[in-house]
Amino acid sequence: MKDIEWARINKDVLASLESPRAAFWIVLAVCIALVLCGVAAEVYQYKHGLGVALMDKPHYWQLYISNFVFWIGMSHSGTLLSAILLLTKADWRKPIYRFAEAMTLFSILTAAIFPVIHLGRVWYMYWVLPYPNQHTIWPNFRSPLLWDAAAITTYALSSILFLYVGMIPDLAICRDNAKGWRKKLYTALSVGWMGRATEWMAFRKTYVLIACFLVPLAVSVHSIVASDFAMSIMPDWHITSFPPYFVAGALYSGCAAIITLFVMLRYIFKFEAYMTTEIMDKTAKLTFAIAMVWNFLNLGEYASIWYSNDMFEKEVLIQKFIGPYAPVVWGMLLCAMVAPFAMAFEKFRHNMWAMFWLSLVLQLGMWLERFQIVSPPLASNHEPWTWAVVWPGTVQLTLTAASFGWFTMLFLIFCKIFPSVSMYEVKEMVFHRRHASSRDEMEDIGKIKDEVMRSEGGLA
Amino acid sequence: MRRKKQLLFATYEDFDKARDAVAELKMLDLKEMIVENIELYSPIEHPEVEEMLGHFNQPIQRFTFFGAITGTLCAFLLVAAAAQAMFTVQPQGGKPVIPLPTDIVIMYEGTILFGVLSTIIAFFIYAGLPRRLKKHYNQKVSEDHIGIEVQMRPEHMEKVRTALQSNGALEIREVTQ
Repeated sequence: MKDIEWARINKDVLASLESPRAAFWIVLAVCIALVLCGVAAEVYQYKHGLGVALMDKPHYWQLYISNFVFWIGMSHSGTLLSAILLLTKADWRKPIYRFAEAMTLFSILTAAIFPVIHLGRVWYMYWVLPYPNQHTIWPNFRSPLLWDAAAITTYALSSILFLYVGMIPDLAICRDNAKGWRKKLYTALSVGWMGRATEWMAFRKTYVLIACFLVPLAVSVHSIVASDFAMSIMPDWHITSFPPYFVAGALYSGCAAIITLFVMLRYIFKFEAYMTTEIMDKTAKLTFAIAMVWNFLNLGEYASIWYSNDMFEKEVLIQKFIGPYAPVVWGMLLCAMVAPFAMAFEKFRHNMWAMFWLSLVLQLGMWLERFQIVSPPLASNHEPWTWAVVWPGTVQLTLTAASFGWFTMLFLIFCKIFPSVSMYEVKEMVFHRRHASSRDEMEDIGKIKDEVMRSEGGLA
Repeated sequence: MRRKKQLLFATYEDFDKARDAVAELKMLDLKEMIVENIELYSPIEHPEVEEMLGHFNQPIQRFTFFGAITGTLCAFLLVAAAAQAMFTVQPQGGKPVIPLPTDIVIMYEGTILFGVLSTIIAFFIYAGLPRRLKKHYNQKVSEDHIGIEVQMRPEHMEKVRTALQSNGALEIREVTQ
């Protein structure tokens, strides 16, 4: 990538805002259709009550909560990996971090919908806000559910700000090249950025400081989501290793999502020159490493339950593998535990479409993982009267499909309005690589000169 | 009456030429004290700028630190006040009214939220944003050119112009503000 001219970087990325491939409109249309189906399902649920979502059985945490955990997990890799790779100065992050951060934002927006749908009566949602009210009842901050709300709000706000601050120099480039409503939008959002040294110095300091906050924040968010389960006394939920297990799972599914979006954007917005095989190779290696960490924690969890010899825990574990939810568990093991080994092969990692399909399989595996965390323990816990095997119904499945449509729709709209590849960071990468290579050349010439001088000296 | 500012805005095709121009201006300034202010415009960040133009006093991290501490305190006040308010209407059954272990989670999140927000505020303050675009701003600076803005007294303009031109300036704009 070292030979791309700076002006061409601007031209290529700005062109992506104007003329994507036809696939963009097709995917967008499908997504909008899915969202409309979801709206219809939601209206139907309001009208007929939560019974249509099968909550008339004592098995209340089902697909909506699984989806919530899945989308929160998905949000992790974007901002967290971007922040970690920024702090470790890994320059291969530069062409891909922008869309990864956007993915974080839209995953959180998708995840936030599910608790609302799950609660049913949306018009009472404001009761959860901490404000003086006539009920004289305040939210209970001792509950992990309230920790969740605090952590997710903080994560969403911080991620939006991280994404926005990182985008200001690019918004200035867009402002300088746009016309009409886009010009007005970019002018407002770029806040008068001109690339002055004072601005760059403050920018870099701010960006690094926010990244330092985001790393522990992201870890805390999914640990707290894990606490929703681990703080209860339910067998198979009350597990000490749940927070790191959730964080590893979140990173894993997030990395898989980055690969999916990487291939999609590369094709739709013609970013072949920026989203290279080299970057895919590094992303795949990272995903593989995280998959192995998740595998270890997953097997560790099974082992600790088995050796603890707690009869309730053991029973739930056995039921997971041979009970009614066994297909889900075995499906998860196949998709999320075995399939990632394909990424151990370089030939596979360098094949974009193979990686695309594999990433979808990995995400399916992680979605099944969330479902098998939530549902099976509710079907065989301490209270036999609550035992009920519940499979998701039409309303739940429609809303799940709609959530994928909603996420992709928001993401595509973002990529059509804002640059999904960071222009200034790619320029920095090109600049530093070019300088590094010219420095190497100078060093080589220096060495040759020294050798010539030495040999001439010897001859003399 | 406010004195009018006299500026020259030069653009260069690469950073090395701009660096040479700034070095020459600094030398001139050492000898004759003719430059009042130099500002560099670039499409990417150049950490070397600090060596060229001198140290930038931007204590953003102080805002971050005090913001984070404020966040911890505010979060504690929120949860403690909510717990006190609940205490009047709900029996606690022997449990502490303000349980610190559970409050730490909210305080942790408050620390991060306020830390991030105060960092952003500091960024806008020290970067001098938001602001209107300067009239002499050259759009090529956001693409691939480097800009140098020099403020000086009108009688020194020709010397500065010569220094800028001798280092390969592509274009020099004269601005009076």
